Amino acid sequence: MPRISAWILRLLWLCPAVSAMAGTLSVQANLANHEPFAGAVVTVSGAATHAPVAPIKAIVDQINLAFVPDVIVIPVGSTVEFPNSDSVSHQIYSFSPTKRFKLPLYHGKPYPPVLFDQAGIVTLGCNIHDRMVGYIVVTDATYFGRTDAHGAWSVTNLPRGIYHVSLWHPLLRDSVTSLDRDVSITGEEPATTTVQLAQALRPAPLQATARSRDEY
Amino acid sequence: MNALRTLVAASALCTAAPGIAWSTDWELSADMRLVDSDGQRSLFDGGFGALRYDREHDGVQIGRLRAALTQPLGDVWAVKLDASYYGQDDAHPLGVTEAYLEYRPYPIDGWRTRVRIGAYYPPVSLEDTASGWSSPYTLSNSALNSWLGEEVRTIGIEGNLEWLGTRLGHDFDLGMTGAIFGWNEPAGTVVGTGGFSLNDFQTSLPQGYVGGRGAAAFPEQPIFHEIDGHEGFYVGADARYLDRVTLIALHYDDRANPTAVDLAGNEAWDTHFNSAGVRVNAGGGWTAIVQWLAGTTAVVYSGEAYSYPFHARFALISREWGRNTVSARYDVFGIESNADDNLGAEDGHAWTVAYIFNQSLRWRFALEWLHVTSDSAARVLVLDEPAYARENQTQLSIRYTIGSDR
Repeated sequence: MPRISAWILRLLWLCPAVSAMAGTLSVQANLANHEPFAGAVVTVSGAATHAPVAPIKAIVDQINLAFVPDVIVIPVGSTVEFPNSDSVSHQIYSFSPTKRFKLPLYHGKPYPPVLFDQAGIVTLGCNIHDRMVGYIVVTDATYFGRTDAHGAWSVTNLPRGIYHVSLWHPLLRDSVTSLDRDVSITGEEPATTTVQLAQALRPAPLQATARSRDEY
Repeated sequence: MNALRTLVAASALCTAAPGIAWSTDWELSADMRLVDSDGQRSLFDGGFGALRYDREHDGVQIGRLRAALTQPLGDVWAVKLDASYYGQDDAHPLGVTEAYLEYRPYPIDGWRTRVRIGAYYPPVSLEDTASGWSSPYTLSNSALNSWLGEEVRTIGIEGNLEWLGTRLGHDFDLGMTGAIFGWNEPAGTVVGTGGFSLNDFQTSLPQGYVGGRGAAAFPEQPIFHEIDGHEGFYVGADARYLDRVTLIALHYDDRANPTAVDLAGNEAWDTHFNSAGVRVNAGGGWTAIVQWLAGTTAVVYSGEAYSYPFHARFALISREWGRNTVSARYDVFGIESNADDNLGAEDGHAWTVAYIFNQSLRWRFALEWLHVTSDSAARVLVLDEPAYARENQTQLSIRYTIGSDR
């Protein structure tokens, strides 16, 4: 019993120390009309050196002449598989400098995953169906994600330090650098930053319809 | 024309190279119609009516039987073939409406080229965007695009260069197109001697024609012939704002010698036109199209030079929700004539209202009402009938499609 009490005492003593070393960062993204900006890609890089984020294996499917999901964020070194679940053939390409590749005309899953070994934005297209467009954000940031329906995204247990917060979305008209900012995590209280767009987003792509399947 | 022959021959050699056997995409469809019409004898039956179906050809009709094939040859080459039967009493039974080899390499740094060799439509129509060069909005084409279907086909080589700005973070895509072609010098005959019509007929290759067989007031006009050995050309440009607005413009000139006649008596018609159009796809399923085309066709007949300036334009508005599409279109068209008796002159306008229900990928149901009012000198001079005609056509269509992707 005395030993257990000693452990509890030690833990109580440690708690304030932990909270002093780590903090929470909350990002709130708002559109130009002050409505929440859902789906924005947030990346957070620390000034201090951190262990690289482990690569992942992601999947971007092709369903009803659309990339699903149409935007993903992956760490550098990740791979992405591009199955084609449609009954029509697709011919996927990227001419983005971050990763140039092409997957010749195919159905199903004939190709191995594609490695994304450089940070940047990759725009995906289909050389047969021009209305198909998708994006892969390859990041070397330590923390990343997408804002929820309320325009919010947060990360916990950030070590103290200065962090560079960036925001990106395919429909952005604001320059990306105008939305960048540095945020200090002191660990004493949660840090919150609000990213307010100055310009309206581009119109969202029109949804594919029953009829568009029949169109060129 | 020799240069054109060399290019076509060179492209044939390229396709002979071995390629990976990619799967074939195919489609078969049958479109049956129930028609009520009070129209005058149609162009297709040798008259000067402005509808596809006249009062002698209503009831149950074959709208279109279609077979289409796309055969990839390797990764960036494909052969595309479209053949149709339109059930016209005296038209060529089954014919090819488009047949071409397409080269479509992957874009490089935002630039993409496309080359088409064979027979296909010049990039004019903003309404015929569905498979088989059909309209997703109505059963009958506008007068403008009906004329293209009747008389105009590029038989040659076309190059297109596109800048895919929207893939580079910009709001616009831009494109330029150029082509040289031949074997279409009678183009102009139908509009010059028969007038405009609103239909979904597409004259087939290689021996298709428009008109009535035998001693018809508007006798059969063969469409696809090379007569004087001069290749024609067109140049065009297009711009797209995101996926919302499309602008196109084209200058077309068949460079035919209007005095030339071949051994079979087919005349070369010197036809040139400019066309422009805009299509707006707004949110909520709304689409609006405005298209304009104006040109002149000329021929020398028995030593007399005849010239027929013509124009056609339309505005269409359409709304799609779920599987339903409702569209309304207003057409205006006209032809002038320098003939002493004004033969060939025409003025007209038309209203079209259509409802289309895409029940599934296989079944489509459509109902269309079309009213056209026109004033044609040929009706008086050739038929001794009133020049002025008001014609109505109502069509119910049931189309069933099978294919490799449905």
